[in-house]
Amino acid sequence: MRDKTVLELLQARGVSRRGFLKFCATTASLLALPPSAAAAIAETLGKTRRPSVIWLSFQECTGCTESLTRAHLPTIESLIFDAISLDYHHTLQAASGSAAEAAREEAMKAAWGQYVLVVDGSIPLGEQGYYSAIAGVSNLEMLKETAAGAAAIINMGTCAAYGGIPQANPNPTGAVPVSAIIKDKPIVNVPGCPPIPVVMTSVVAHYLTFGAVPELDHLGRPKSFYGDTIHDRCYRRPFYDQGKFATSFDDEGARNGWCLYQLGCKGPTTYNACATVKWNDGTSFPIQSGHGCIGCSEPNFWDKGSFYQPLSAGIWGDRQATLGTAAVAGAAVGAVAAASTRIRQQHASEEK
Amino acid sequence: MDLIDFARGPALQWSLALFIFGIAWRLIGVLLLHRKVDHSLPRHQDTTMGGVRLIFSRMWPKPEFRQSNAVHYALSYTFHIGLFIVIFLFRPHMLFIRDLTGLSWPTLPSGFVYVIGAMTLATLVAMLVRRMSHPVLKMISNFDDYFSWAVTALPVATGLLAVSHLGARYETLLALHILSVCLLLVWFPFGKLMHATLFVISRGTTGALFERKGAST
Amino acid sequence: MSEIVDNNPLDLTGTRISVQKPEVRYDVQGEMPDEERVRIAMRSFVKDFGAHSAIYMESCIHCGMCAEACHYYVQTGDPKYTPIWKLELFKQAYKREAGPFAFVYRLFDLKSAVTAQQLQQWQELIYDSCTMCGRCTMICPMGIDIAALVSQARHAMFEAGLVPHELWAVAERAEREGSPLGATASTFADRCEWMADEHEVEVPVDKERADVLVTISSIEIMKYPNTIADFAKVLNHMGVDWTFRTDGYEATNFGLLSGNAAWQKDMSMKMIKAAIACGAKTLILPECGHAYGALRWQGANLYGKPLPFEVLHISEYLARGIKEGKIRLRQWPESVTFHDPCQVSRRGGATAAPREVMRALGVKLTEMGEPGLNWCCGGGGGVVTIHRADELRYKTFELKMKQVEATKAEHLVSSCSNCRQTFDDGQAHFQWDKTMESLLEIVAANLINT
Repeated sequence: MRDKTVLELLQARGVSRRGFLKFCATTASLLALPPSAAAAIAETLGKTRRPSVIWLSFQECTGCTESLTRAHLPTIESLIFDAISLDYHHTLQAASGSAAEAAREEAMKAAWGQYVLVVDGSIPLGEQGYYSAIAGVSNLEMLKETAAGAAAIINMGTCAAYGGIPQANPNPTGAVPVSAIIKDKPIVNVPGCPPIPVVMTSVVAHYLTFGAVPELDHLGRPKSFYGDTIHDRCYRRPFYDQGKFATSFDDEGARNGWCLYQLGCKGPTTYNACATVKWNDGTSFPIQSGHGCIGCSEPNFWDKGSFYQPLSAGIWGDRQATLGTAAVAGAAVGAVAAASTRIRQQHASEEK
Repeated sequence: MDLIDFARGPALQWSLALFIFGIAWRLIGVLLLHRKVDHSLPRHQDTTMGGVRLIFSRMWPKPEFRQSNAVHYALSYTFHIGLFIVIFLFRPHMLFIRDLTGLSWPTLPSGFVYVIGAMTLATLVAMLVRRMSHPVLKMISNFDDYFSWAVTALPVATGLLAVSHLGARYETLLALHILSVCLLLVWFPFGKLMHATLFVISRGTTGALFERKGAST
Repeated sequence: MSEIVDNNPLDLTGTRISVQKPEVRYDVQGEMPDEERVRIAMRSFVKDFGAHSAIYMESCIHCGMCAEACHYYVQTGDPKYTPIWKLELFKQAYKREAGPFAFVYRLFDLKSAVTAQQLQQWQELIYDSCTMCGRCTMICPMGIDIAALVSQARHAMFEAGLVPHELWAVAERAEREGSPLGATASTFADRCEWMADEHEVEVPVDKERADVLVTISSIEIMKYPNTIADFAKVLNHMGVDWTFRTDGYEATNFGLLSGNAAWQKDMSMKMIKAAIACGAKTLILPECGHAYGALRWQGANLYGKPLPFEVLHISEYLARGIKEGKIRLRQWPESVTFHDPCQVSRRGGATAAPREVMRALGVKLTEMGEPGLNWCCGGGGGVVTIHRADELRYKTFELKMKQVEATKAEHLVSSCSNCRQTFDDGQAHFQWDKTMESLLEIVAANLINT
C-alpha cells in the first residue's frame, strides 16, 4: 500500500479522475493559488507516493478526528484523508497495545526525516508530564521523540496549536501547545475546535505539491484559510452595517437572521474560513445556524469572557469591588484634600 | 495574554477604576470646600430651579453672542453631537455601557456612525488648527488643552481605523482603540475633559446664585 | 504710600471725578521684597476660596469665547484681554494652594511660581481693563462667573500692594474721609441745605427716626447735586417718612472696587448702622451700580446676619411706588433707550424695575439687545478713575456709542451715576450729541403734585 500513489489509492476507492481533478482545483483555489497550480497539484498527487503520516493524539477530545472522519457523507476530503493516512493513529488504527507502538516506531524508522507529524491535543507539562501518557510514555516524551524525525508538523485543532481547552484557566495539567516544545521544525497550525476538514487536506496537498508549508500568518495559520475574519466574510455582515441586531435567540431579529454581535458573536476577531468554506460539504456554519461564532480558532478562546457577552463588553475581574473601592478611595482622598485646604486657609487667615 | 485581552480586561478595569477614583477625588475635593451662608434677602426663592434652568439654557448661545463666535459654535456643536452619536448610538458602544450599567437604548446603523465618526475627527482637526492659530486660543492654551485633544481624538481615529481595517489587523486595532479609551478614562478626571461632569455643577452654581439675585443668566 | 496719600488733590472740575492726573505714579504700595509680595498675593487669593469659586476655577475649558464678550478684547483684538486670561496667575495659585490636587502640585512643584513682575503686569488686566461687568459670565459655556473671580483677585492685589495709583488714593480717601471725592459729612449737609433752598423742597437730614433711609453717591453730591433735590421731590411726593443721615450717606464703596475687604466692610457698616439707628424699614440706594452689589447682595454677609431692613435700588423703589399708586406721573412720550448698569441689572437683578417706571412714563423704549446684556459703559469697577486707562476706556466707549446709536432713540437714560460720569466724559471726548439722563431726574421732573 505504501507503494501506491495518492491517485491510485483514490481510484481504488472509486474516485474518478474527474473527481480528483476537481478536488485539486478546489484545493488550489482554497489555498489562494493561481489556477495553474491545480495542474501542479494533480500532477504531484498523481505521481507522489502516499506520504507517511503519523498522528499523535494528546490531551484532546477526539473531536478533531471526528470532524475529519465522521462526515455525514464520505467526501473526497475524507477519502484523501483516508488515503494519506496513517501509519499511526491510536484512535483509528486496528492495532493496539505494544503492536500499535511498534507500528509507530516502524513508521518512523521507515520514513525518518520525511514523514508528516500530525498532532491533536495539547501536551501537559505538570507532574513531569505524566498527566497524560500512552503506553507508559508521556505525551511530552512521545512528541519529542516523534517530532525529531518529522519533516513538518501539522497541529490539528486549537489544543495542539495554542493549548486550547486543556490550557484554559486554571490549566491544571500545565498544558502547552506543540510550538512550546518543538522549535526546530516547520509547524502549521490548523486551529479550530474542531478545524474545517478541507483545511487539513489542503495543507497536506500543498505540502506534497510544493514541498513546503503554505504561507502562514503570525499565529502560524495558513493565510489562505485564516486571512479574513468571520465577520468580514459573514453573510450577515450587511445587518451589522445597517444596525440590525438579534437581541435574543428567539426574537424577531434572530428569526430574520440579523447580526449576532449583541448575542456575543466573536466573528470580528476570529480568523477562519467558516463563513466561506463552511462545514459538511459547504452546508452551513455556526452563524448560519443561528449561533454566534465562539472564536474557537483563536488562542485562549475559552478565557475571553462569556460566549454570550458582546465583544465590546469588558472582560471584568471583580468589577464591583474594584470600582466601589475606587469610588470610596477617591472620595476619601478628595475629602482629605478639601480638609487640608480648609486648614491652610484657616492658618492663612490667622496669619494676618 | 494578548493585547486585546489585556485591553478588554485589566486595562479597562483599572482605567475605569482610576476614572472613578479621580472623579470622586476632584468633585469631593471641590465640593467640600467651605460655603458661606448668604444672609442677603433673596429676590427669588427657588434657586434650585434657577440652577437647573441654566444647566439647560446655557447649551444654546444667546442671540447676542452667536455671530461673534459663530465658527466656534459650529465646530463645537458638530464635534459634541458627533461624539455623542459615536459614543452612544453605535451598537457595540451601547453594549459596552449596557454591560457596565445594565442600561440599553436604540442605536443607529453602523455605517452611518462611521460617517459621523469621520466627520467628528475632521472637526477635531479643525478645532486643533484653530486652537493653534487663533490668537486668543493660542495664548490661553496649555498642556491640558493639547493632551486632552489628543486623548479625545485617538479613540475616534483608532475606532475609524479599526472599522476600516487600516494599518494593522482588526484585533490589534480594536485593542489600540480600547487602550486609547483607557487613556481617555485615566486622563478624564485630571484634565479639562472633566468638564463633562463639571458643567452641571458650574452652571448649576451660577444658575442658583444668579436666580437668588434675579440677575441675568 | 504716603506720597499717594499726601499728594493727590481731587479733580472735581473734569467730566469725571478722580484725583488729578498724578505726575509720578505710585502703582505699587508698601515696602516689601518681591517674594513677599507674591506670597501675600497668592495666599490672599486662596484664603477665602470657597466651593463656588473652586468650581469655577476647575471648570474652565479654555474655549476662549469670553474674549468676544469683553469690550476690551472686542475693541483692541489683543488676546491678553481675554477675561479668563486675567485670572491666569491666580489660577496657578489656586492649583497649588486650594485645588483638589494641590498637594500633588506642591509635591512635584508642577506649576511654576508667579513672579512679582508678572503680578505687576497683571495689574493692568485686573484693574484697568476689567469693569467686572460680567458679560463674560453670560457667554461662558461653563457658566463661570469670571467677574466674581476678578473681584477676588483684586483682594489679592490689594493685599500685595499692587493697586493702580488713583484707585488706591480714592479708596484710601474714602476710608479716611468718608467719601472718595471729598464729600465729607459736613460738605454733604451743606449741599443738602443748598439744594433745599435752590429747589424749595424739604430735605430731611439726620432725623432721629425715619421709615426710609436714603443714601447717595459722592459722584452725585459733588457733580450731580440736583439728585439730592430729586430724591426729596419724589419721596416727599410719596409722603414717605424719610431722611438722609450724615453718619451713613455714602453709598459708593471703593473698598470693594480697589479690593480692600476691611474697608469695604467699614463703608457698608456706616449705612447699616445709620439705618438701624433711625429704625428704617427700607434703605434706598442711589443710582449707583456697584453700591447696589455692595449693599444689596454683600451687605448682610458683612453684617453677619440678615439685615433688619430691606435694601432697594432707587429704580426698584420708584417702580414699587408707581405700582402702589403713590407716584403719579405725567406722560413723557419720548423715544428712549435704556442703558442697564451692569451691577444693578445684569449682576444685581433689578432689570425689570426701570422698565416698569418707563412704562408708567409712557416712553417709547428701544432696547439695546436683550435687557440686562448690553455693553458696559466702560467706566465701572473703578476704571473711570484711572488716568492711564483713559485711552483704552475711550476705545471701549466707542462700542457703547455704536450700540446706543443703533437704537436711533433720542434719549439715553440710565440709573447709575458712575455710568453717567463715564458717559459725560466720553461725550466730551468724542463730542457726541447724546447726554445720558438719570431716570430719577426724569421721574422727579414729571411728578403730578396735587
